[in-house]
Amino acid sequence: MATSAQTLGSGGTAEALPGERPPLEWVGYLFVALFAVPFLIFNVAPVFFGAYVAFTEWSIIGTPEWIGLGNYDDAISDEWVWVAFRNVLFYALIIVPGVTVLGLLFALFVNKSYPLSGLARTLFFAPHVVSATVIGLVWVYLLDTQYGLLNAVIGALGAPSIPWLTSSDYALVGVSMASIWWDLGLAFVLILAALQDIPRDLIEASTVDGAGPVNRLRFIVLPHLRPVLSMVITLQMISTLRIFSQVYVMTNGGPAGSSSSPIHYIYTVAIVRNLYGYASALAILLFLVILVATIVQRFAVREMAS
Amino acid sequence: MTGINNTGKSRRKPDSAVSRRSVLRGSAAAAGAAVSAPFLGATRAYASGHTEIIHWSWLAASDGEVWAQMIDNFNDAHADKGVQIKMELVPEEQYVTKVLAATATGRAPDFGWGTAGKGAALARDGVTVPLDDLIDEVGLDIADFSDLSVTAARYPKYDNAMFMIPMDLMSLQPEINLDHVADSGLDPNSPPATGDELIEWGKAMTRRDGDTVTRSGILMTGSGVQPTVTWGIVAEQMGFRRASDDLSMAAVNPDAGIAAMEWVLDLFDKHKVSTRDVTDRYKAFGTGNGSIFWTGPWTLNGYVGQGLNFMTSNFPNIGGELKTYFEMGGLELYKQSDEGRYKATLDAVKWISDNSFLWTTVGRGASPRKSILERPDYKTAGHPWSVRGAFVEGMEFATIPEIPVVAGPEFTIYSGGNYLARTLEGVWARTKTPAEAMSELQARWQEGLDEG
Repeated sequence: MATSAQTLGSGGTAEALPGERPPLEWVGYLFVALFAVPFLIFNVAPVFFGAYVAFTEWSIIGTPEWIGLGNYDDAISDEWVWVAFRNVLFYALIIVPGVTVLGLLFALFVNKSYPLSGLARTLFFAPHVVSATVIGLVWVYLLDTQYGLLNAVIGALGAPSIPWLTSSDYALVGVSMASIWWDLGLAFVLILAALQDIPRDLIEASTVDGAGPVNRLRFIVLPHLRPVLSMVITLQMISTLRIFSQVYVMTNGGPAGSSSSPIHYIYTVAIVRNLYGYASALAILLFLVILVATIVQRFAVREMAS
Repeated sequence: MTGINNTGKSRRKPDSAVSRRSVLRGSAAAAGAAVSAPFLGATRAYASGHTEIIHWSWLAASDGEVWAQMIDNFNDAHADKGVQIKMELVPEEQYVTKVLAATATGRAPDFGWGTAGKGAALARDGVTVPLDDLIDEVGLDIADFSDLSVTAARYPKYDNAMFMIPMDLMSLQPEINLDHVADSGLDPNSPPATGDELIEWGKAMTRRDGDTVTRSGILMTGSGVQPTVTWGIVAEQMGFRRASDDLSMAAVNPDAGIAAMEWVLDLFDKHKVSTRDVTDRYKAFGTGNGSIFWTGPWTLNGYVGQGLNFMTSNFPNIGGELKTYFEMGGLELYKQSDEGRYKATLDAVKWISDNSFLWTTVGRGASPRKSILERPDYKTAGHPWSVRGAFVEGMEFATIPEIPVVAGPEFTIYSGGNYLARTLEGVWARTKTPAEAMSELQARWQEGLDEG
């Protein structure tokens, strides 16, 4: 032991003798610390601080005042909280299936060597590398009721313009369309990678056995894609529950809160109204909703698989 | 010697130059440097005889360019006097949050932009500095400021102290597209002065495709700032008050508030002079897709710059009592650990105020300084009087102020996202009746007033 202590005290990066406890590798800790320390300070600590602030009334200046479950009480009686969570449910119902199905169709399309499938591969993924803010701004123009491209097409077909972003009946749909377009790239790439992992001899064998495209998709392709589809659905569900930038840029949550989302409302409560305790409580509630939704969804996919 | 064990065999890897002690020493030095850097910076060259005053601004539109010129003018005039202002741009929506965070960590800017009546919480929490004594100390001539501006700069609930130096007075007045006026055979010399005349003008300039409004005679949006502020002005004209004069009772004369909501709804659904389908009101007016647009003087630089053919007139008397929205921009001083900075900062603010002719002729709004308003070239400088005049002369009836309480932001009528705007959006979208909205507003505002 004296030897060991002497060695450690000397500060060397020592090797353990047989039967001795291995000495600490300080350099290793240093390299880990380069990531771990900022992570603990800027990611982990704020989570715990936020959980604490959720039980207080605080506006940055001064000491947080402990109010117990007061913020959670307020959240339950706040109609805008219910509106935001109801909206995000609708977002999830539109965006998650939309991204998954379109991602699958696009991946199936470019997995074959059609003319321009290489270009299509790039184009399908391209929106994902653009920031959500830019996507939102572009879609504001596309969906404008009076001058938007989409309504111009609808008008050319003889149908009346649709107020995609200015009507409480359509705003959520308009934001969802932009979100699907933006999120599609990642789902597409993940599914395409999984498609290319399917052994070709399986496909060829099924073709020789007389399976048509539909049966090949049903009995070979989809079973192989199940793990990645499960992951895509999970990731998309989490992403959709956290939807913010598109909402902020395209509608600012309106009209009449019809397109607001929990994160958008949390932002409003925290940054516009400076109610950090209440905003933290809402964030904790959202965290719980995401946790439950993810568990339920994973469980459901596993049940379907079995 | 290190790394020698009892066997005489060195366990130290010969190529390793890093020891625990050296790691700790290095880490401590790095941490120390990181921690102390902000505080070293905090001296802002103060000790070397050169004072750098930190200024935060959220003016990012065309008026921001003029404000940057104002700061440059100060720096040029003080190039050899050891004082310079360093301006940093902060997004308006995040401004208060960032000021709070900076103050909590002892790193607040020396001064920044504020809006009268919206900073009661900052005054209560000691983030903004009461200025009365400092004003005397630096010799700023408060008698040269209009009474309205000085009153608006005070918070009655916080010793009635002045918490900002007024820089500009703003109001909402109608900007009118003169090409549309000519097309419709209207007389630009007799702009609408009453509610009925306004609707007549709106109808004359509205263009429709069947039942769909394709060009709004009266430019409105289906949600956000425009219908909210319109309601606020018309409601006050009809006798509604968001708070009683003694700030004890919310939503005085609610029937008038409800009638004003109906008036706004009629623009869309009865008179059909507005459409809810406009997404960007500034762009819509700038591109000729709206004919009458009430807005503030901050739009002038942009529209004049793009060559839009328009004039400005006084807000019409719709509800019986001529009033329009009042807003005052000013400069606030933020709490510093070194209180010696206050005087240097207010000296700088005094210079800017004394030399704010450019700001209130080209920048935005009317000057709160009597000496500037009385200058013979005040009407001829800057933008043409035909577009600027209403924003100066109209200040006479710009008497709808902010409510100076901590919950003031929830009362403001110029907002697209506060409680008022969100509640009214339900009315504009026909998902809530005006009476329901008024009832909700009354309850929420009363809580705000009770809070103080």
